[in-house]
Order: sequence, then C-alpha cells, then structure tokens
Amino acid sequence: MNSAIIRHAIWPLLIALALAFVLVGSGLDLAYVIPRRLLRLAAMVLGGVCVAWSSIAFQSITGNRILTPAIMGYEALYLLLQALLILTLGSASLALLGHHGNVLLSMLCMLGYSWALHRWLLGNGKNNLYFLLLFGLVLTLVLTTFTQFIQLRISPGEFSVLQGFAYTSFNRADGQQLLYSGALVLGVGVVGFKTLPSLDVLALGRDQALSLGVDYPRYVRLYLALIAILVAVSTSLLGPTAFMGIFVANITYALARSSRHRLTLPLGCAIAISLFIVAQFLVEQVFNYKTTVGILVNLVCGAYFLALMIRSRGDA
Amino acid sequence: MITLKHIHKAYAGKTVLHNVSVQFPTRQLTSLIGPNGAGKSTLLMLIARLLKPCSGEILINGRNAAHYRVSEYARQVATLRQHPQFSLRLTLEELVAFGRFPHSRGALNEEDRQQIDTAIGFLGLDHLRGAYIDELSGGQRQMAFLAMTIAQQTDYLLLDEPLNNLDMKHAVQIMRALRRLCDEQGRTVILVVHDINFAANYSDHILALQGGAVRFCGPVAEVVTRSRLQALYGLDFEILRSERGFVCNYFNPSDQEREHEQG
Amino acid sequence: MIRRALPLLFVLLCSVSLLVGVKQLSWAQLFAGSTDAWLTLTASRLPRLAALVLAGVGLSLCGVILQHIVRNKFVEPATTGGLDAAKLGILLALTLTPEAGALGRMLFALVFCFACSLLFVAIIGRLRVQHSVLVPVIGLMYGSVLSAIAEFHAYRHNILQNMQGWLLGDFSRVVQGNYEVIYLILPIVLLTYLYAQRFTVLGMGQDTARNLGINYVATASLGLLLVSVTVSVTVICVGAIPFVGLVIPNLVALQFGENLQRTLPIIALSGASLLVACDILGRVLIYPFEVPIGLTAGGLGGVLFLALILWTRR
Repeated sequence: MNSAIIRHAIWPLLIALALAFVLVGSGLDLAYVIPRRLLRLAAMVLGGVCVAWSSIAFQSITGNRILTPAIMGYEALYLLLQALLILTLGSASLALLGHHGNVLLSMLCMLGYSWALHRWLLGNGKNNLYFLLLFGLVLTLVLTTFTQFIQLRISPGEFSVLQGFAYTSFNRADGQQLLYSGALVLGVGVVGFKTLPSLDVLALGRDQALSLGVDYPRYVRLYLALIAILVAVSTSLLGPTAFMGIFVANITYALARSSRHRLTLPLGCAIAISLFIVAQFLVEQVFNYKTTVGILVNLVCGAYFLALMIRSRGDA
Repeated sequence: MITLKHIHKAYAGKTVLHNVSVQFPTRQLTSLIGPNGAGKSTLLMLIARLLKPCSGEILINGRNAAHYRVSEYARQVATLRQHPQFSLRLTLEELVAFGRFPHSRGALNEEDRQQIDTAIGFLGLDHLRGAYIDELSGGQRQMAFLAMTIAQQTDYLLLDEPLNNLDMKHAVQIMRALRRLCDEQGRTVILVVHDINFAANYSDHILALQGGAVRFCGPVAEVVTRSRLQALYGLDFEILRSERGFVCNYFNPSDQEREHEQG
Repeated sequence: MIRRALPLLFVLLCSVSLLVGVKQLSWAQLFAGSTDAWLTLTASRLPRLAALVLAGVGLSLCGVILQHIVRNKFVEPATTGGLDAAKLGILLALTLTPEAGALGRMLFALVFCFACSLLFVAIIGRLRVQHSVLVPVIGLMYGSVLSAIAEFHAYRHNILQNMQGWLLGDFSRVVQGNYEVIYLILPIVLLTYLYAQRFTVLGMGQDTARNLGINYVATASLGLLLVSVTVSVTVICVGAIPFVGLVIPNLVALQFGENLQRTLPIIALSGASLLVACDILGRVLIYPFEVPIGLTAGGLGGVLFLALILWTRR
C-alpha cells in the first residue's frame, strides 16, 4: 500500500519541485531568467532519465544492486575519449567532427566497451560482485590518470574545455544539444519500453530467461547498447555522475518494493530528476554557489554507497 | 518424445558426456541418477538448450532441438534450476506470472491469469500469493519456482536437483506434485536427483550415468536392483520392498561385506 | 637471479636518474670539475634522487605493514583512505592555521591519517562479509568520501584548483632546502625492520599474535602510526603517489614468499627502483616538460593492480 502512495505522490512532488526551481526568485523574468532555468531543467530531466534508466537496467542484467555503468568505468572512458579527441584534433575537434560526429564516435566507443566488458567480465555471470566492483573502481582511477596525463599535453585553452567536462553541471548543454539528446533518449525509451517485459525476465538470470523463451544473449546485447547510448548522453550533458546511479537505484528499490521494471524505471527517473533539482537548488540558494552539484552528489551518494558496502551481507 | 543421439560434450578438453543415446518415454517421470561428476546435470542442461552439445543431436517431437526458436522452445520445454541467491523483490504471484511469458510476452490475458491461478492452486500455494519470494523459506521458494514452471504449460519439464537443501516434507511435496503432473496432466518430467530412494519411489523410469556414459536405463522395477546400484555407486546396497514402495539401504555394509573387507 | 640483478638495476636507474633532466649533465663535466654541473647535481639531482628512493622505500613498506595489519593483500595507503585523509589534513591546516607552515601541515596530515586509518581498521573488523576484495572496495569508497569532503571544503575556500595541482605526486619541486622532511622516512624504515617479525605474526591474525605473546592492539597501532608518518611526509614533500605500496609487495610475494625478514630488503629496493624508473619515464616522456610522478606511477601502478586483480581471479 505504502509503495503505491509513494509511486503516485512522487509525480506531483516532482512537478512542484520543477515549478519551484523555475519560478522561485526568478522575478518572473520571461526574457532571460526563466528560459535559462528551463534549459537547465531540461538538462536535469534528460540526465535524470539517463542515469536512472541506465543504472537500473545495468543492475538487472548483471544481477546485482551495486554495479552501475558509472562505476564500471563508462564515464571515465568517455572523458578519456574526449581528452584524446582534443589531443589529436585540437579543440577544433568539436567543430571538425561536428557535434553529431563527436556523439556518434563516443557512442561507438561506449558500445565497444560494453561489448568488451560483457565478453570478458560480465558474460559468464560467475565473477564475484566485489571483484567486478574493485575492477571498475581501479579502472576508473587508471582511466582518470590517463586523462590527466593527456591534459598535461594540451594547451591551457584546450585544458579549460576539458576541465569543463570533468564536473557535473547543468549549464553545459545548449538548446541544440538538448534537442538531439532528447531525441536519442526518446528513441532509447521507445525501444526500451517495447522490450520492458523481457527486461523483467532477464533479471531472473541467463538460465531462467532462456528457459522462459527470451533470447538472453540477444537481449543483453540490446540492453548494453541502450545503456551505452544513455551513458554517453548523460555524460555529455552533465559530466560524470559517479555514485549517483547507485544511490538512485537503491532508493528506488526501497520505495517501489518491487523489482518490476514497469514500476522501478519511471520511479527511478522521477527520483533522479528530483535529486538533481534539489541539489541544484541547494547550490544556488543555500550554498550560494560556494559548492557544486558534482561535489554534493559525490559527498552524499559516496557516503551512501560506503554505508551500503559496509552493511553488505554479500547477497546484494 | 525426447531422443538423444550420440551426444558428446566436453568442457575445456575434458569429456563430460561420451556418445550418449537415449530416449525419454513421454508422459512418464524419469530420474537421472549417478555419482557426482557423472554428467547428469550436463545432460539435462543440454536438453534444456542451456548448453550446446559438441556433437550429436537432440530431437524433440522428432525435430532437432537446435532448430527451434528460443521462444518456440520455451513453449515445449520448461527448465527449473536452483536459485540459491535470489534478491529480486517479486511476489509469488508475479514470479509465477513469468511462466506465461513464452505465451504472452508479458501482456497477460484471461487465459494466462487462469493458468497462473491453476499452477498456484496445484501446489497449494494460495496463502503465499502476495508473499515476497526473497522472504520465503528455501522449500517454499522452490515450490514457487516449480509453480512458475508449471504455469509455462509445456509438455516437457526438466528439473535440476529440485530437492537440494530441502527438508523431507518439502521434498516429498515436490515429488508428489511432479508425480501428479505426469499422471493427471500427462506431462513428461525429467529430473536429476541424488537420493536414490526418491528416484526409486516416485519415478517410472531411471537413467543411470557414470563417467559420462549411460550405465543402465529402464523402468524402475527392472533397474533398481542390488547388483546394479552397487556397481553404480560402489556401495553395499540392500533393497527392501513393501507395499508402500522401496527402501534402498546403503548406510552400513552387511556383515558379509564387512568380513570381506577385513579379510 | 632476480635477487642479484635487482641491486644492479637499482644502481643503473639511479645513475640514469642523475643524468637525465632539462639541464644537460654528463660524467665528463663532473670529472672536469664544472661548478655549474656540480651545483645542478647537489642542489637538484641528488636531493631528487634521495627523495625518490626514500619515498619508494617508505611507500612500499607502508603497503606491507598495512597488508599485515588488515590481513588483506589489496590494501595500501591509496586503498585505505590514508592518502585522502592526509590530503584532507593538509587542506584543513591550510585554511585553519595558514601561519603554521610545513610543520603544522605535516602534523595535521599525520593526525588525520592516523585517525582515519584507525577508523578504517575498526570498520573492516566489523564487516559482516569477510571477502578479500570487499576490503579494498570499502577502502576506495572511504577514500573518495574523504576526498569529497576535502573538495567540498576546498571549493568553499576557493583553493580547489590549487589543491588538485599540489596534491598530485611530483618530484620536480624537490630541491635542496625544501625536501629534507623526507629523511624522517629513514627512522621509519629502521623501525619497520626491527618490528618485521612482529608484523609477520600480526598477519597471522589476532589470536595467533596473542598466543605468541604479542600485544595486538599496541603493535597494530604502532604499525598504523609508522604508515601515517610515512604517508604524511611523502604527501607534504612530493604529493600523493598511489598503488606503489600495493603492487610492489604483491609482486615480491609472488616471487619470494611472505617472510618479511627475508623479503623486506627486496621490497624496499623494488619500491625505490619503481619510483626512480617512473620518474625517469616522466622526465623523458614529454621532454622538455615533465609528467608528474603521480601520473606515471599511478598509471603504471594502476595497470599492474588491474593485472593483479585479474590474475588472482584465476
């Protein structure tokens, strides 16, 4: 009963939060303040959907409640790729490849990474969860080191472009990028929604899924591809979100009290968006820009993850 | 009818099954028995198509199993494996509903709902309908998964050690339910079972494997004999028959055997 | 074979290290008595080499001690939050008592590192799941929470950019007159040798240690204190260098076993060699610029760590 109330209450709450975010202290300035805030809100909505959807789907196909794409090194890889692009092509790389080219290339790389990860680490389903987690954390550190190394090689102007990528922020995206991202997320959403019941079955594990007539390898590949696209979109829109995904996913499971994706995915999206709005609101109104969303997210979600691991019983 | 022809299976160069050719009688309950490492589970997983044979073929209703589509196969053969860890938050009813997935791909219709109810009722799980799977006891959870497999409404049911870690009462409940599936609904059940007494008392047919090859195969009355079991397990057996069934006693060697060992 | 080759390799690396740099230096100049060349040598190259060797020895010994106290082969200052605690300490010293100078910063780093290490050991002792890989996972998370706190604090004081720069391990700032604190590692190394046997016993567990008449708590605390001093000294002098303390003891243990009294010299020498090699690499990689050793050692160490994780899985 309780979970039903939460499921229904979250939407009005989300709308109220969004309205408050757009209107509070805006002076109803329709010419500048409100459009700017709407852009930020759009970035949060898209980013929230990406983070929640990719994390929950990733946890379902890997059969645990800890691993998320961000932890398995997806975001670090994205940032390394951006650094490499700037190193090899200069900051003109954005202009040279065009926005589409960059996004397309990033997605191809993420798809390749998904494939490699699945082929060697996740595929057999026999690897210990903590082992995968340690692998992901260390890989993230190593990739970050390489990114920093490349930063040394590039000129200061390009450095600042790159530095911008490395922090969570809602101000990065312009209208056009939001439009493309929105279209991509919509596309993923349509495919994802069509195959939603299969995702429920995938969560039962390879053997059970096959036995229930779901072509497990095919659907896992499909979902890894969708996840790769979502992570690429969210990282390009917001920057790295690190432990946000794990936080959102676990809060969602606790509130939804169900593992049906029909319930968890929308709820997860709502929670992620709300958290982003609250964080941004805190940064703007409470901390007076003396902190950033990225730092807040790291602090809160990191502490939550630490607590989760310490309390872990090994069956997560 | 499930027919295996010259099945050969090896993992990393190690042969697990060697030239296995058998037929499983329809509408009967067949137990796969044999010592550890005999290849029982592998054989079952091959039939379930969770593993691929290195050579040989498996025929389901006369058609090569490898030629079925995944979704098509799931309407013919249902498989139940063990679920030692299960952390998904699903109610028993939601879990059983997954059994209808091969038929409805997730959108339940009236017939699906009926089949779900029937499966839950069949195992007497009505009172646990809304209970969460991860909060059930091991025995109840196994029953819940069995209900899902039953709801799948397939002609063939494959179960891999369904009695593992269960107390006697739940083990007997499961075996009786499987018996009824054969007798009342005419389904073909194949299971791997470790306890020879369960195999002897509830099966129609027994297939014994040893070292990756078929040791013997046939109706229970024919194959459950002292000499055959002794050779299979390397233990001294005593087989007692009464009107309530068999008891295969292998716990302590007979005096004769003991003398033999000491001499 | 390796045992004999190692000192040779070390000497070779040291001499290369003395000669490589922006300023050309050759043995011929030194023999000719060029004052300029000698100045470069004594004011910059020698201090740098000394700092490298000491940091390498200190960090790899830190790893060994921690691995025995926590009884987990995947721990070292970077995977127990020690490095991040020291950074946090320095940051607080900078904002709270800016006039305290290097010594004050060092003290803050030491206290934070020690306290956080004690807390970490206490947390690990209370875990419900005993799994060897869970410990470094929690350590890394613990470290990232500590560094998130540091970032939060640094951002409020507008020194975030600053902090990221000077906390990355870098030996290029080491010149005569500003690095001498690092000699504090020498007594630590001596103490570690003295206590080697006890740390080995500690690694066998609390009960065994008690049976053999070793005060577990006191010895473990001493070990953590030694680690904290080393970590804070290196972070103050040269910045954070992750993974050296993890990779070296593990590689040495694979080859030579885990009897500390026998393997400590090898570990120390290998740690020093690794840092000197990484430093040379950093100096030639994008010559005439330098790659901070935090990146070269961190990258190389991280890759080796990944290989180690994959290797132990088999």
